[in-house]
Amino acid sequence: MNSQPRLVAAGYAGVFGLLVLLLLSSSLWLGDSPLHMQFEARLMPPSAEHWLGTDALGRELWARTLAGLALSFGVGLSAALLGTLIALSLASLAMLSPILDALVSLLIDTLLSVPHLILLLLIAFALGGGTQAVIIAVALTHWPSLARLLRAELLSLRNSPYVAISKGFGKRQGFIVWYHLLPHVLPHCLVGALLLFPHAILHEAALTFLGVGLDPTQPAIGVLLADAMRYLTGGYWWLGVFPGLGLLLMVLAIERFASMLRKAL
Amino acid sequence: MRRPIILALAATCVALSAPALAKDQLVLAIGGEPEQGFDPLLGWGQYGSPLFQSTLLTRGQDLTPQPGLATEWSLSEDRLTWTLTLRTDVRFSDNTPLTAEDVAFTFNAAAEAGGRADLSALESARAIDGNTVELTLKTPRITFIDQLMTLGIVPNAERENGYGDEYGRQPLGSGPYRLVEWQEGEQLIVERNPYFYGPAPVFERLVFLFTDEAATLSAAHAGQVDLAAVPPALAENIPEQMQRVIMNSVDNRGILFPMQPDEGEQAANGAPIGNNVTADLAIRQAVNLALDRETLVDVALNGFGRPAFGPADGLPWSQEGEKVAAPNLARANTLLKEAGWERQEEDGLRYKGDQPARFRLTYPSSDATRQQLAQVSAEMVRPLGIEMQPTGRHWDEIQREALHQDAIVFGFGSHSPQEVFYLFHSEHAGFGFYNSGYYANEAVDQHLDAAQAAANTEEANQHWQAAQWDGDTGYGVQGDTSWAWMVNLAHVYATNRCLDLGELGVAPHGHGWPVTANLLEWRWTCD
Repeated sequence: MNSQPRLVAAGYAGVFGLLVLLLLSSSLWLGDSPLHMQFEARLMPPSAEHWLGTDALGRELWARTLAGLALSFGVGLSAALLGTLIALSLASLAMLSPILDALVSLLIDTLLSVPHLILLLLIAFALGGGTQAVIIAVALTHWPSLARLLRAELLSLRNSPYVAISKGFGKRQGFIVWYHLLPHVLPHCLVGALLLFPHAILHEAALTFLGVGLDPTQPAIGVLLADAMRYLTGGYWWLGVFPGLGLLLMVLAIERFASMLRKAL
Repeated sequence: MRRPIILALAATCVALSAPALAKDQLVLAIGGEPEQGFDPLLGWGQYGSPLFQSTLLTRGQDLTPQPGLATEWSLSEDRLTWTLTLRTDVRFSDNTPLTAEDVAFTFNAAAEAGGRADLSALESARAIDGNTVELTLKTPRITFIDQLMTLGIVPNAERENGYGDEYGRQPLGSGPYRLVEWQEGEQLIVERNPYFYGPAPVFERLVFLFTDEAATLSAAHAGQVDLAAVPPALAENIPEQMQRVIMNSVDNRGILFPMQPDEGEQAANGAPIGNNVTADLAIRQAVNLALDRETLVDVALNGFGRPAFGPADGLPWSQEGEKVAAPNLARANTLLKEAGWERQEEDGLRYKGDQPARFRLTYPSSDATRQQLAQVSAEMVRPLGIEMQPTGRHWDEIQREALHQDAIVFGFGSHSPQEVFYLFHSEHAGFGFYNSGYYANEAVDQHLDAAQAAANTEEANQHWQAAQWDGDTGYGVQGDTSWAWMVNLAHVYATNRCLDLGELGVAPHGHGWPVTANLLEWRWTCD
């Protein structure tokens, strides 16, 4: 890696780090401002007093957007980690025996053949909505691609000379998977989780927008966008533009960082 | 030969001079697609015009009964028998006559169907002769007359083209319009019924679009609809080519409190009953005193509404003096303190023993207006040390879990005091959505029973009013405070500037169809 790409990579890493810091700490310094109503300042356009404008209940949009991004970040991160864990567990399980391998492959193929947005909606609805339901639904629908990748990687590793030697020493399959195979795919998991992350965030926002996601009283991005839809024809553009732009920038930043990491690894 | 030609010419001149011919078709986007189809026995026609059917009586602007299919009607002295004389010129839209047999069939079948039309008081209906029908009641019920004004008459099942399972999708009636096509979830097309006994409707064809809020507004802005229901939040942004029409209503929104303490009881479906916070009168009074209803109207309804203090503000069966001077936080704090609710420093909440003054305020998550009302009212109550937690749920979840244990943002409002009976009589405790808070007061029950048994409307109204507050007790804000009523919505419509909707009455609950109540008076005013 020459110095210019290194600089760009450091830039992405810096932006990503700042974003994480900003969002994770936002609940500390935002306080209750995302929920604070000012009845006399409803639907105010962006100005020096109201940076990104206010919503129909007079709540500051900058505070709600930041809180929404933080919420989406948390939900997306949890869903991505859970999805990665499921993918890694099943890919590892597939290494234990040919029957398990066939079963896992069948499960992956089955899930990949169903449009995941439909599955996502069904699971989130069946679980009754809310933060946990969104995390579970996103995780349960986003592991197959990563699981397929990890399984292929594990399969190639299983044929390595050092695995054959370990087998020759009489080590059991479980031991081989745990000590020889998994450590080698962990970097793939990290990148996989990071690439899953923006997907998870977007799907959380989509589910919430459609009314089966987070509670509509929470300042989630999906809630803000759904609220904005009602007011679009009234000309209140800022209600949709800023949360949408915030979501776009956050997803782009994470995606760029993940792509960079993938190339580096 | 000359005479018919002159008559035809005259008729043509009259028709051409009528503004109606300037436009034959109206496109309406007012929502309200009935899930069960257009079957009066299952509830169709309770609001607005039944379109395809006619009713025995109609409701005047002052809510008094007017002739419909029946030209004469009388109630026996024991108040158990209604006798109605029908017009002789009424025909269904297939050009077959409507007789007393059809009327008797409709009432008997509706009583058996157990739909939205409450005919539980009906003993039997029978045709005396071709044009006279007799309805016998089990007990006197003053509100039975409302069914004469809302239940559309369907053809007897035993005749050709009679009532059957598919009636809701292929309705046959004697109303002003007949169904041409219904694409469920999309649109309904109806055409003038040439055999309608009343004055011919001005518009030959009506197209009802069943679009969501955003699509309705987009269509209105594009000039594709002549009448669109507009949510209060956007009532100020009517498309330029349209005009805003406001229909006042008793379509109210308020908070229904669970009245019983939580003692582990469950309803038949397993839903828990009771709430230890809202069962306390002081809490309910404090919430009522904290609500700034003018601000609620401004914020949640964008100013298109008025404060509400009861289920039927301004209607003859409502107490005029039933109001609460609010917001009055000082009085609310005093009441809470006197009732033993002490504020704690750590969280700012009030406690009575170990019980925090905290309860869920549930609203249907699909309703943005109720969500805003819940959020704003929770904000108004917070300074008292009471935490109402706005919680959005689906209707089925509300029925399964929240209905009897959460405070719920409900909406009611009717042209009939029967609704007051459902809402507050103990025999309806736990019955559907009405008295889901299990409100029960013996004195109120007696007033409500007396109203139903009254000899006339005036006498009944005195009893309805006494049920709200009789100087000693009542369901209203001076008595048990079983609700915190918040607002009455104004129904806002965007209409084509050439469309004259005539004199709109006071709408009941349900934005949309109520506006069609005077459909026959609608006119087109442009060339």
